[in-house]
Amino acid sequence: MKTIIFLAIVLVSGALAGTIHGIANLAIVEPYLDQAIGIENQNLFASGEEEDTPRFWVEYDAYRDWQKGGQVLAGAILGTSIGALFGIVYALSRHVLPQGNDLKKTFTLAGVMWLTLFFIPFLKYPANPPTVGDPETVVLRAILYLSFIAISGFGTVGFYQIYKRLRQNTKILAFAGYAAFIGTVFVLMPPNPDEISAPMDLVNGFRVMSVVAVSVFWVSIAMILGGLWHKFRPDAENPDVRN
Amino acid sequence: MSQSKGITITQSKIPIFAIAILAIVFAVGLFVVGYDQGHIFSVVLGEQAYEDLYIHELTHDMRHAAGFPCH
Repeated sequence: MKTIIFLAIVLVSGALAGTIHGIANLAIVEPYLDQAIGIENQNLFASGEEEDTPRFWVEYDAYRDWQKGGQVLAGAILGTSIGALFGIVYALSRHVLPQGNDLKKTFTLAGVMWLTLFFIPFLKYPANPPTVGDPETVVLRAILYLSFIAISGFGTVGFYQIYKRLRQNTKILAFAGYAAFIGTVFVLMPPNPDEISAPMDLVNGFRVMSVVAVSVFWVSIAMILGGLWHKFRPDAENPDVRN
Repeated sequence: MSQSKGITITQSKIPIFAIAILAIVFAVGLFVVGYDQGHIFSVVLGEQAYEDLYIHELTHDMRHAAGFPCH
């Protein structure tokens, strides 16, 4: 294993895919965020906590520009983080992923991780725009969300171990087992404790765009890491060519 | 007529320290973007960091967009 090459391509692919995620958010999620924060502002004006003055809007616009720029930076950081996990799992599982080139393997793994670490947890605890969420419950919600992701992820690893031990014609039982397991967890885990106070068309539109943007990330990281792995072959440090 | 067959044997064993580095990157990055509420800057700024929430505000939009509970 060319360790430095391995680390470099994993971190670069994560950072690039995360930056793409941040840019995608700016394009398709940001309008919903602006709309939701606009509702928050109206609530502040109505409650008297803030005054609707030109000075307010100057400060607000500068603050939001800073946050929007931060979104791309946060995308790069989050992408590097998730990309590191993706790189670990890919390196450990590459030899058991379906036969084919690296792109096929990375897309397969990205699909599995997208489904089990993002989409299924999202169905239980979907993303919410600003105006939705009680600050008093943020720790509870964070614990619930992270717990569900961890349970789903470790459940996937567990049922993969079962999958390996099953005969070819009974491997479907591992998929059925995971479905039953995560379905049970889905029902048993407490719901998000907060009520949704924002208009549902805003919330639903935000959630759809959130899923699209996160999916863009997973497609990007599969494409970039698969391409870089194929080009640099970090797992072929000492090729022993026998004739 | 001779034929030659090339077989490439690859070593795929991953050094533990490489996995450890990536695991740390994963944990730190996830905490920074998804969960920090002033904890990191509190090392330097003390209690004031929990009021300023610099990292929280900087990552605010991504937190919402990526599905993390924010506020």
